[in-house]
Amino acid sequence: MTPGRHAHAVLVAGAGGVGKTTISAALAVAAARDGKRTLVVTVDPARRLADALGLSELGNQPTRVAGQRHLWGAMLDVTASWEAIVRRHAAVEVADRLEENPFFRAVADRFPAAQAYAAGEQMAEFIESGTWDVLIVDTPPAVGGIEFFLAPGRMRDLVGGRLLRWLTGAHIPARRTLYRITARPVLRLADTVLGGPLLEEIAEFLLDLRTLYDGLSHRARSIERHLRSAVTVVVTTAQPTPLREATRLFTELPVAAGRPDLVVFNRTLPEAWGAGGRLRAPGLPEATRRALRDNLKRWADESRRQRQARDELAGRFGVAMASLPWLEEAPISLQGLTRLLDAAEGLPLDRLGLIGTE
Amino acid sequence: MFDRKLLLISGKGGVGSSAVTASLALAAARAGRTVLAMGMLDALGLAAHLGAEDLDYEAREVAPRVYTLAVDRSRALDEYLRVQLRLPRPTPTRQLARALNVLVDTAPGVREIISIGKPVYEVWRGSYDLVLVDAPPLGQLFSYLRAPATIADLVPAGPIREQAGRMQVTLGDPATAGLVLVTTPEELPVAETREALDRLGREPVIDLVTVVTNRTLPELAVPAEAVARLPAGPHRRAAELHQALWASQRHWLSALPSGPRLPYLFGSDGPEQVALRLAAVWETP
Repeated sequence: MTPGRHAHAVLVAGAGGVGKTTISAALAVAAARDGKRTLVVTVDPARRLADALGLSELGNQPTRVAGQRHLWGAMLDVTASWEAIVRRHAAVEVADRLEENPFFRAVADRFPAAQAYAAGEQMAEFIESGTWDVLIVDTPPAVGGIEFFLAPGRMRDLVGGRLLRWLTGAHIPARRTLYRITARPVLRLADTVLGGPLLEEIAEFLLDLRTLYDGLSHRARSIERHLRSAVTVVVTTAQPTPLREATRLFTELPVAAGRPDLVVFNRTLPEAWGAGGRLRAPGLPEATRRALRDNLKRWADESRRQRQARDELAGRFGVAMASLPWLEEAPISLQGLTRLLDAAEGLPLDRLGLIGTE
Repeated sequence: MFDRKLLLISGKGGVGSSAVTASLALAAARAGRTVLAMGMLDALGLAAHLGAEDLDYEAREVAPRVYTLAVDRSRALDEYLRVQLRLPRPTPTRQLARALNVLVDTAPGVREIISIGKPVYEVWRGSYDLVLVDAPPLGQLFSYLRAPATIADLVPAGPIREQAGRMQVTLGDPATAGLVLVTTPEELPVAETREALDRLGREPVIDLVTVVTNRTLPELAVPAEAVARLPAGPHRRAAELHQALWASQRHWLSALPSGPRLPYLFGSDGPEQVALRLAAVWETP
C-alpha cells in the first residue's frame, strides 16, 4: 500500500450486549490474516477485546497483538473528551474560562454526543495516519449505536446552532467581543421569575462555546466524510431492544453517514432444530427423554422467532444478512475468533473490503 | 410493592425494563389498582408492550384500569410552569418560552427535573393508585434522581427551588416511592446493577424495592453426564447449549441480591404477548 493512504474503515454498530466487540475482533483477525495491516479499536469497558486478542491491557496507543505481524488493538479514550475537544479547538484563555464554568462541567458530564464525537475524532486520526490498511471500529454502545453517527452534526449544532444565533442575534462571529446578547432583557425577565441568574450565565457560557465553531465544524465535516466512505455492519440479536436499535440504524441514520451494508445476526440457533427429529437413545428413562424433547422444542421455538426477525429485517430493508452461531461462551483467544469466523454464514469478507485486493 | 404510590423501573439498556414496567402495570390493575404507566426517554418500548400504537402526553386507557402516557419534554415544561410554578398568566411570551427552552436544554438538572417532575406531580394529584415509570436506563438514571438536589444547589431561591425540595421529599419517602431495578443474569447488566446498588448506598435518593432478574432459564432436569452420552444431534446440542447458558446464569445470579426472577420467554410472539406472560408470573404467588 502507498504510505499515507487512508485506512479502509469498517464500523460495527448496534445495541449494547449483542456481541459487537467480539465480532469486531473477529473481522480484524480476518483482515490481518489476509495480510492487511489492521487496527481494531473499542470503547468496551469489559476488557473483552483485550481478552480475545490476548492482550494484557488495551491502551489509547495501538498495541501490536503478540505473534501477529498485522494486527493491532487500541482503546478509544472518551473520558476526558470534552476537555480534549475544547483544548483542541479553542483559544487558551477561552478554554480556561470554559473549564471553570459550572455549566460546562455539568454539560461535560452528561452530553453523550461529546463522548461519541471524541471517538469520531480519534477514528479520523487513525484513518488518516497512513499506518493501517484497515480500521475496525467497535462503536460506543452507551447511548444506542446511532449516537456515534449523529454526534458530529450534534456538536456542530451545539457550538453554532440556532440557539446561539438567537441568543447573539448574529451569524457566526469571529470574535467574542463582537457578540452581544440581543436576548438579554428576556433572559433577565426569565431569571426573575425563576429565582436565579441562570439564563444570563448560560448565555455567557454558550458564547464561549461558539469560539470552537471554526475548528470543530471543519473537523466534524471530515469525520462525516469518513463515516460516509466507511462500511457499516449492524450487529443484532432477535431480542426486541437490539432489533429496534438495528431498525433505527436504517431509518434514522443521517445522510452524512450512508446506509448500513450488512446485518449480522448474532447468537443464531440452527434452523434444523425446528424439524425436531427422533432421539435415538435406547434405554433412556422416559422422564429424561421428555425433558430433552421439551428442551429441544423450546429452543426450536426460539429458532423460529429468530428466523422471523431475520426475514422481517431483510424484507424491510433489502440488506445482506449474515449469521453467527450461538456459542456457549464468547471466544477468548485468537483461535476462538477464527473458529467463530469459520462458523459464520453469509459473511462477505471480500465485499466488506477485509480480504482480497482493493 | 403495589402499596406504594410511585415505582420507577430501570436497568441497563436491553434487559427488558419496559416489558417489566408493562407487566407490573397489568398485574397491579388486575389486583384492583388504577395504574398510570409512563414512558420517559423512549416511550416506544412501553407503548408496544401495552399494545398502544404510540403514546401521547394525555393519559389513555389501554386496558381496564391501565392508563398510559409519554413524557413529552416541551409539554411537561409547559405544565410545570403553569401548574407547578403557577407562573402568572398571560402565559410567557414566545420569547420567554424560547429562553426557557434554552434553559431546559442546557442547564444541569433542569431537563431532568422537568421529566421526573411529571410522575411526581401525578402522585401529588392523586388520580391514580399507582404511578409506574419506565425510567431512563441506569447510565442516566442518577442524573434524573439527583436533579432536585442539583437544582437546589443551583438556584438560590424562588419557586423552582421550593418545588425541587418537595420533589426530593416525595422521591425519598419509602412509603411513597421506590425503585425497581431490572437486570438479566449476564456479565454487563449484573456489573451495572451492582454499581447502581453501591451508588444507592452512598446516595439514598430513593428506596430500593427489589432487583428483578429477567430472562432466567429453567433448570434442565437431565444430568450433564447423561447429556454427554447422548448421540450427536439436535437434542444433544440444544441440551448442551442450555446447560452452558444455565451455568453461566447461575454464576451471575449469585452476584445479585435475591429478588423476583422472571422466565426467559422462548419464541414469544411479540411485545404485547411478552407483557401478558410476565404479568401472569407476577400474579402467581
